[in-house]
Amino acid sequence: MVADLGMPRTRRGVPLAVILVAIPVGFALLGLLLRLFAYLVAGWEPHLGGYPDGLCRWDCQWYVILAKSGYDPFPVPETIDAGNWAFFPLFPMIIGGLYALSQADIMTIATGVSIAFSIAAALVAWPLLERNIRAYTLYCAFLLCGPFSIYFTSFLTEVLFVLLTNCIMLALRRSNYIAAGGFAALLSATRIVGVFMVFAIVVQYLAEYRQKGEPWRKLPAHLWQKPEIVLAVLLTPLGLFGYMAYLHFYMGDALAFSHVQRAWGRVPGNPFYYLWMALTDWPDTGFWPSTNQWLGLSVVVGLGATAVLALRRQYAMALFCLICLIVPLSLGLASMLRFVTALSPIVLVVITWLARSRLIYAVSLLGFVAADYFFTTGWLQEWLPLV
Amino acid sequence: MSSATRSPAGFRPRWLAVLALIVVVAGFELYVSWLALHPSVTDNYRAYYIDQTTTCLDKPVSGRYTLGQTVSFLPDDPPGAWALRVCGWDGPVGDGTHSIGTRSMLHFMLGSAPGDLILRLQMTAIMAPDGRTQRLAVSGNGVLLGETTIGNGLTKSADFAVPASIIDASDGRLDIALDYPTATEMVPHDSDTHYRSIKLLSLQLRRPGDPPSAGAQDDPLAQRHHAGPD
Repeated sequence: MVADLGMPRTRRGVPLAVILVAIPVGFALLGLLLRLFAYLVAGWEPHLGGYPDGLCRWDCQWYVILAKSGYDPFPVPETIDAGNWAFFPLFPMIIGGLYALSQADIMTIATGVSIAFSIAAALVAWPLLERNIRAYTLYCAFLLCGPFSIYFTSFLTEVLFVLLTNCIMLALRRSNYIAAGGFAALLSATRIVGVFMVFAIVVQYLAEYRQKGEPWRKLPAHLWQKPEIVLAVLLTPLGLFGYMAYLHFYMGDALAFSHVQRAWGRVPGNPFYYLWMALTDWPDTGFWPSTNQWLGLSVVVGLGATAVLALRRQYAMALFCLICLIVPLSLGLASMLRFVTALSPIVLVVITWLARSRLIYAVSLLGFVAADYFFTTGWLQEWLPLV
Repeated sequence: MSSATRSPAGFRPRWLAVLALIVVVAGFELYVSWLALHPSVTDNYRAYYIDQTTTCLDKPVSGRYTLGQTVSFLPDDPPGAWALRVCGWDGPVGDGTHSIGTRSMLHFMLGSAPGDLILRLQMTAIMAPDGRTQRLAVSGNGVLLGETTIGNGLTKSADFAVPASIIDASDGRLDIALDYPTATEMVPHDSDTHYRSIKLLSLQLRRPGDPPSAGAQDDPLAQRHHAGPD
């Protein structure tokens, strides 16, 4: 990946690598400032010292407790039935480890790490965006200074999910299946849907195998001679299995992360029934869509972008995105907007499209920056589609 | 010889290393899968999370209670209520502690031989989407104490006689179960763990002849926040 940055200088003599780092760093600083203004306007008892803690809402607060205190035992000592086992461990472990070492304010650590991961995700995406500087700039703005920057710059797992997904996409592009499997192992320890990357890896491998003109009947012999793909497939769920082993020895149930959904009131059902119910949940008054409609629309956009991926023959990532949309949707609409924005292949498709025209690019860039302030305000004022 | 048909021996060290890793990783994952199929959990955990035969997930509570005392289940006396709440409760919110699921439980530790008692529950039925009346069956240590009904959205105080025999047989321990056969989902396709039936406002366990509770305002430990002077 670093080799991709080692490119010649630009026409003005500035090394390209410097520019590729400067763009996300600049957006990171601008985003920090915009979210600070939003916090000072819409936060709870806002003051400078309360930033970035004051941005931490909803799941972020669960992650803070998880990073500080670890997983709940059973019975949960607190006031509710639901333990925090549904929250996957990798990102809270990283933040919790740094917190244990430094004893600094945990939201300051999380914000710094999230921004660093966002910058890394952008750098990894440079070759995935076909080295298009407009698309790259827009993607940096989206992550660090866009409408959903709160997801990628506070304490939510989306940022690590995006970084690892980008790493996997790059590894697959280079046919480095063991690296893809290694990153996917980390992905499966980051969010529950990360484990489904195994299907993308298999599809990508088979597509590549067939592109070489190899017949299906020789596949077993090929796997025996080059078993790297088998290792990659087995590596992918390793993060999940590691978490399961921990849960078993900690509280007796390796599947607690799944079983706990009952306490959260999540009922498995037909995802398309849930989607239809959301889209037809008309607002009580006015024309502004209801929370469920916003969430349903985000799913529709996600499914549309997934279809575009499939039409572009990016079958592996299309399958991954489809599963990552359908699985949480089968438990309801909660947080679907956040889940859609964390699906890197979808975001990269949209960003690439927005960057094709100079005018659309400029409007999008301005829109992203303005939306950072307004969406952060919405987040702080508990605009529920953002949760 | 093409690469597709070359013997693994041609790149043996790497091939062997990959194969060894495959065996180790697969072995670990098979072992964890076996663990997942054999959870080591309490009956309570299994019933709620795995078998899903109950909506009531027991919590160990002290059951500390002084006979005759009114305990408010409004937000003004959380410690008093928490000492009794075992499962099937949510809140408190401004208008009481909501029942969730199809059963709620309360636990009292009463000491030896308290005699016959009367359990008073002050409750409000939820406003059900279909306007249904709520039915409630109350048991003590597994023995049915009585049933009552509460009209949609109405508040009611109900008394249930608790015979001394069921408390004496359990060394002063009294576990009250409230079953809600008419508990209902508040939104379509809701989880049964989120079904609603009543909001509990206050409770009192007293000896016959003791003054009955008039409601949550009789809780002497409640921390009230009045808007004006008393």
